[in-house]
Amino acid sequence: MAIAESRYAFPAIEGLHLIGLSIAVGLLFITDLRLAGLILRRVPLTTVLHNLRPWVLGGFVSIFVTGGLLFLAEATTLAGSAVFGVKLGFILLAAINAAYFEFVIARKPAVRENHAVLPSSVRFAGLASLTLWSLVIVCGRLIPYLA
Amino acid sequence: MTIDSVLTAIQDSPIAHLISKSNHLVAAGLQVVHVLGFIALLASLVLISLRLLNLVLKQQPLIDVTRDANRLFYIGLALTVASGVLMFVSTPKLYYYKAAFELKMLLFVTALLIQFAVFRRVAASTSPHPVLARTTVAASLVAWFGIGLAGRMIGFT
Repeated sequence: MAIAESRYAFPAIEGLHLIGLSIAVGLLFITDLRLAGLILRRVPLTTVLHNLRPWVLGGFVSIFVTGGLLFLAEATTLAGSAVFGVKLGFILLAAINAAYFEFVIARKPAVRENHAVLPSSVRFAGLASLTLWSLVIVCGRLIPYLA
Repeated sequence: MTIDSVLTAIQDSPIAHLISKSNHLVAAGLQVVHVLGFIALLASLVLISLRLLNLVLKQQPLIDVTRDANRLFYIGLALTVASGVLMFVSTPKLYYYKAAFELKMLLFVTALLIQFAVFRRVAASTSPHPVLARTTVAASLVAWFGIGLAGRMIGFT
């Protein structure tokens, strides 16, 4: 209520949500591009995963907090919003993809030992994550236009 | 010629009419490209910053991180600037007189100056002095994150 009524609180939290996004999803995009073999090819995959993971997870905590506050301020509008529902759906799919990568693909010996040729599922998981999180951002930005 | 007449001329130009008279989803599409480009830019900036502060990928030579990250930075900058210019051109008077927009543009010029005068050089060196690295990263992140915050204020003030 306080957020919805304040002139500056809502855009300020949206701004923090955007900055958190650049860390959480931004560094996740970097990881995904590495999984797809498009960037940082000289850096071993496990090094990228290991180094960026805590920053990605920390960033996600911050966007869930700011996102939660934004939701509370606009709950009545968002509850009936199709595009917000689609956004949550894409987040769920991205989470399933990430869990499958962490618990199945990343545990294969070829990935753990940084083999020169990685299973094609690594590339696929990276591209899927890149696509799903891009769609999450697209839906998020469209909420004020379509809600 | 006053600024206002320049803004009117821009607002009456064919390209401005093309965008402002089209479906409102065209404007929404520009916003989407603007935010995706900005996140690509910030992702690259955050990665290089963390590496400069030795918080990630310490064992990797700086150049191995910055070469690819720089490319992503320029892709993000190009998308953000192109979509931003189109948004401004479609309704210049909506933006020009807003304090938040003025602040955003001031921060943008500052951020570009920091980027090209200092940040790029520090990131291109083999092992920058820790104090220089920290100062550059702090100044750069404050400016770029400030752009994001000021940008979000534009629609609400």
